[in-house]
Amino acid sequence: MADASISEDDFQKFREFFYRKTGIQFDMSKRYFVDKRLLERMADTGNATFRSYFTMLRFQASGVELQTLTNSMTVNETYFFREEYQFKCLVNSLLPDLVSRKKDDGPLRIWVLPSSSGEEPYSIAIYLLERWAGIHNFDVEIVASDIDTRILEQARRGLYSPRSVGQLPTAYRQKYFRQVGEDFQICDDLRGAVEYTRVNLSDRADTRAYRNFNVVFCRNLLIYFDDVSRKAAAETFYDALKPGGFICLGHSESMSRISSLYKVRKFPEAIVYQKPTE
Amino acid sequence: MGLIKQTPAEGVRGDTRTSARDCPSLCKQLLAAEPEVRRWAARDLVDCPDCSEALVEALQVEPDASVREVMLTSITRIGDGTAVNGLVACLRSEDAGLRNEAIEAMKQLPDAVAPIMLGLLMDEDSDVRIFAVNILESLRHPLVENWLLQVIDVDDHVNVCGTAVDLLGEVGGAASLESLLRLKVRFADEPYIQYAADLAIKRIQEN
Repeated sequence: MADASISEDDFQKFREFFYRKTGIQFDMSKRYFVDKRLLERMADTGNATFRSYFTMLRFQASGVELQTLTNSMTVNETYFFREEYQFKCLVNSLLPDLVSRKKDDGPLRIWVLPSSSGEEPYSIAIYLLERWAGIHNFDVEIVASDIDTRILEQARRGLYSPRSVGQLPTAYRQKYFRQVGEDFQICDDLRGAVEYTRVNLSDRADTRAYRNFNVVFCRNLLIYFDDVSRKAAAETFYDALKPGGFICLGHSESMSRISSLYKVRKFPEAIVYQKPTE
Repeated sequence: MGLIKQTPAEGVRGDTRTSARDCPSLCKQLLAAEPEVRRWAARDLVDCPDCSEALVEALQVEPDASVREVMLTSITRIGDGTAVNGLVACLRSEDAGLRNEAIEAMKQLPDAVAPIMLGLLMDEDSDVRIFAVNILESLRHPLVENWLLQVIDVDDHVNVCGTAVDLLGEVGGAASLESLLRLKVRFADEPYIQYAADLAIKRIQEN
């Protein structure tokens, strides 16, 4: 494979294309990371040059290669009960607030995005079952989405390393997991309780159907987006939320710097953002 | 009660939208009575570059902040000449919120804004010239310093020059020093310009 290399022009061309398709932007510091994955995909698909690979990527009708490449470009590493203060905020502040204003009989709906391999949606499920008395009075629906189809399969399988479950109280690990070799698999009840869907947050056709959520968790995703894509994502969440619904971002992210659509709500456990009640 | 999952037949989704999504229909929906319909139309119009005129026209009369924000994002994403001209028109609006939103949007469009920047910096309205300097504040373009120097070399309005000097203190290099000294002479009776220029000179020399 004599020409199997990525030139500066190739990188720029790919970067623009990938940004348009996914909203994810790689700066020059990610050059090595991007090149490595592109070269791997070129080898796996039998493309000797970037040019032929890029042609395939752009014009393949099925879009399978773009999805495969996207899977390899997105980093998925998290663990159970990561940034637990927001789960505390959910059960101590957000859900009581939502319940006090609830006028319909429908379920409370939570959208987790990106789902990654499931640690966050399953953590929320465990938190609701263990720490929120209201679970006996209300139905809760958890939808978890990711752009990476491979990681969604992993989430549905629910098999985790000891490191991934390391922050969980032992009692919860014993109650909700079974040991499989050195790993831990989450119980069937919880696997069956979370709906996993594939969504590209930058694709309006993908996201337009997501509505009527009470809470959105979108933590540590928007940091990979540029300013315009971040704003577009905030607008997508605005339409996905019911009036008065909440959005939780990662601890280093601030909706105030992204969009003026939301009200800042300071609860004892966390700062979250609320769609106006209208 | 507890954790539930809707059946596949119910779907996890709640899309009840029935409006057409072709470009002419979307343009009409920009004037619909329901903010949600207008917001979705504004979002979907990003795929209809020829409709940027409809977007910028609707933007100027849109009363709902959430719809306006989506319109501005779509206009920014389209970023063609019509879109940029529409944003320029917003700079002349009496609505301070809309002006600020237009400035923020234009900061995101360095390549589209660059060809008209000199014109904005020479606009007959000093407020528009100040807004143009505000745009330069975070416009990622290699000519930012040159444009600021042009302002402090030729603009007669003390507030326009004052705004430009403040920014030069952040982004200026050694090439700015002579212009700053000339500015001090041009506005010898203006204590603020003396102070701001001295501060900018000090900052540039420290860097």
